[in-house]
Amino acid sequence: MTEPVTAHSPDNDKAALCRLVGVSKSFGGVHAVRDVSLDIPGGEILAIVGENGAGKTTLMNALFGLLPPDSGRIEVDGKPRKFRSARDAISAGLGMVHQHFMLFPELTVLENILVGAEKANPLGMIDFPTRRDEVETLLGQFGFSLPLDARVSTLPVHARQQVEITKMLFRRARIIILDEPTAVLTPAEIDGLFDMLRRLRDSGRAVIIITHKLDEVMRVSDRVMIMRNGEKMLETATRDTTRDSIAAAMMGREIASPPKIDCRQDAPVLEIENLHVTRETGLSTVRGIDLTIRAGEILGIAGVAGNGQKPFVEALVGLTPVAQGRLALAGQDITHASVGTRRAMGLAYMAEDRMQTGLATDGMLWENTLAGRETRPEFARRGWLQKRNIRDDARSIIKEYDIVATSPAQRVKDLSGGNKQKIIVGRELSGNPQLVIAENPSWGVDIGAMAFIHGRLLDAAKRGAAVLLVSSDLEELFALSDRVGVFYNGKLNGIFGRDELDVYRIGAAMAGQTSGETDDA
Amino acid sequence: MPDRKRLTMLALLGVILVAILFLIPSAPDLIGAFFDGAFGGRRNFNFFSTLSRSSLIVGMALSVLLSFRAGLINIGGEGQLVLGGLVSALVGIYMPGPPLLVGVLALLAAMLTGAIWALLAGLLERGFSIPLLVGSLLLNYPASFIASYLVSHPLRDINSGIAQSHRIPRATYLPRFEGTILDYGIILTAIVAVVVIIAERTTVFGYRARTQGYSASFAQASGFPERRMYFQILAGSGAIAGLVGYIAVFGIAHRYVDGMLVLPLYAWTGVVAVLLARINPLWVPVAGFLFAALQTGAAGLERSAGIPREMAQVVQGLIILFLAGGRHFLKRPGGTTE
Repeated sequence: MTEPVTAHSPDNDKAALCRLVGVSKSFGGVHAVRDVSLDIPGGEILAIVGENGAGKTTLMNALFGLLPPDSGRIEVDGKPRKFRSARDAISAGLGMVHQHFMLFPELTVLENILVGAEKANPLGMIDFPTRRDEVETLLGQFGFSLPLDARVSTLPVHARQQVEITKMLFRRARIIILDEPTAVLTPAEIDGLFDMLRRLRDSGRAVIIITHKLDEVMRVSDRVMIMRNGEKMLETATRDTTRDSIAAAMMGREIASPPKIDCRQDAPVLEIENLHVTRETGLSTVRGIDLTIRAGEILGIAGVAGNGQKPFVEALVGLTPVAQGRLALAGQDITHASVGTRRAMGLAYMAEDRMQTGLATDGMLWENTLAGRETRPEFARRGWLQKRNIRDDARSIIKEYDIVATSPAQRVKDLSGGNKQKIIVGRELSGNPQLVIAENPSWGVDIGAMAFIHGRLLDAAKRGAAVLLVSSDLEELFALSDRVGVFYNGKLNGIFGRDELDVYRIGAAMAGQTSGETDDA
Repeated sequence: MPDRKRLTMLALLGVILVAILFLIPSAPDLIGAFFDGAFGGRRNFNFFSTLSRSSLIVGMALSVLLSFRAGLINIGGEGQLVLGGLVSALVGIYMPGPPLLVGVLALLAAMLTGAIWALLAGLLERGFSIPLLVGSLLLNYPASFIASYLVSHPLRDINSGIAQSHRIPRATYLPRFEGTILDYGIILTAIVAVVVIIAERTTVFGYRARTQGYSASFAQASGFPERRMYFQILAGSGAIAGLVGYIAVFGIAHRYVDGMLVLPLYAWTGVVAVLLARINPLWVPVAGFLFAALQTGAAGLERSAGIPREMAQVVQGLIILFLAGGRHFLKRPGGTTE
């Protein structure tokens, strides 16, 4: 673990509305948030930044009473508070706008704002004219304009967000938390949102935005806290820092490059031409990727989550249709081939989502090691499973990959996280694949398992496989990759050779800055 | 795992306790009447009647098992069963030819019809995004209304006072075991059970189906032929339900009587049996037999003690409640259930 980059003390001239002291929260032995302390003064916009899984949402849920912290305390107005529910938090003056809006689409804007704060009389009736006046006064105060009688379902997304914010203000929230507020907005709407947030700040309220978009942090926040692996890495005034150093703190900066042998060959294994992927929502897309991965090469992919890496990988594996462009594996066109066909041609895939996609955790160990290879002649004859061979194969994977398990019949869900991941790695590499696609293969595993997995990936490359390594861990990328491509906004924003790997450079590319340095294509 | 086993035991125990609570004063007599109804009778008549009923319930349970094991929530067994039974009756009544051929064709027609009805639910999901759960459930209604209409009007046996079809020719009946009321249908069910259990354990198809039931996205990422399997499993599931319809018609009723496959809740009892067996193929026949005994035993109770046989359905409902609700009570503070 790295030390926090700067133990910068927050401005002490502003009294904290709310304070987190040593808050920790773990799930099943995994620390989601570890010993985070934070002062939240009024009149400030605080950005909490970190990769997916860095603990930012967990931290805010703990603050908001949705997840009681394991240790540490929360103070509001200098008094320690224990919130048992969101209701407690709201009455203490906190308000949270979730990523997915919590509105009743069939009710009007006014009704949605009043829900939970209706102040009905004993007969259960609501004094709508009075409440309406109150809401209108509030809207006027902040210069918002909302059609109070329109049904929420008829409003555009940014107006719904405004309804959520107004709802919080109507409940007298002084600390307003927004989880990824810009994810669903267009650039112009983002400007509108930021104006709104500044007005809230200027009224003396505390505004917290959770985000991983660095340009927004720079634009709107006064202070920024960066989290990684559940810990606070850096807290500083935004004007005192740069995007690159924020990116570096997000990804970790201590990168020791072990000797890596270059075993690249000429033969192209995976050729990607002008790849486009369109998601149903139209939000997260891949927009024109050209890339060739050669035998023996490990190509790293970096990028802030949500810049298209996920649909990119899914298109390569065959889980998402290719909208435009062409894919070829060992010279054969696979643009529209099924997952099964691609696997039969030598594709291996270590999925990021281990519990659902990488493994069938309810199944036995052999059921998991067999998947994707179940039609090979040694495992199936005329549709009948060759159980003895399958068990022997599972046993040899257990042995070779040093998996702590009692037998091939053991249920996978009873194994530890590192052993689970070794099952995936063992299964995927045991068929001597031509192309290995690994997504965050060492995420969350202990250092020993991580080194082991890295060693296996290097071995695969040495053997002549092409490896595509998608990782949110720059250390890992730098240690293993021959080249690193950086995704930004669905496109490759630069490819960096081994001698160009530098955390600031990569960080800048991840943040969307263009540099002239692209080789290959 | 131990948790889930405990849960099942708890469910059964709870049900037995509730039943005893209701019946305390004359419990020994009633329990005797129940067991006599399920297993006794002259020359074990009631036992064979339980077996006969279990050939239907276990059959429906196997149909459900096939879908559920692969993670497909097909609860349209009833419609598949009804139409299978109806079509087999029609083939039996209206098709000329040697009895054996007619019988075999009726069997195949029943299976085909059940399969088509199940595939229809699948097409609704894959083509029109109507969830299988909803589509398969709703298709039960047109199926039983079509059957009702046909045996009430155009195809009704006008010599009888109730809505039913003509009788199938005696020569096409499924034969009975010597001296019992038990027909050979149970052999068909046993064959299906053996095939399903062996396929699930030992074939690539069974492996893929089971694994897909564990996690659909795992199956997809492993490159299983997901779409083909989806329709194969639905068709197989429907074909088994259709086969059960054939057994009910050719083995037991010898005609299609309106409501004969719906009112005894064969399909739903099959679902409950699969849930009680926790989707484990080996236990499904056992669970199916238990429910058959519960129903015939309740009929015995009605005959000898005047307790309405619907109590069996109440008990069945309680088992579901305990299975579903027990999970909640077993949840330990701080821990998670599955």
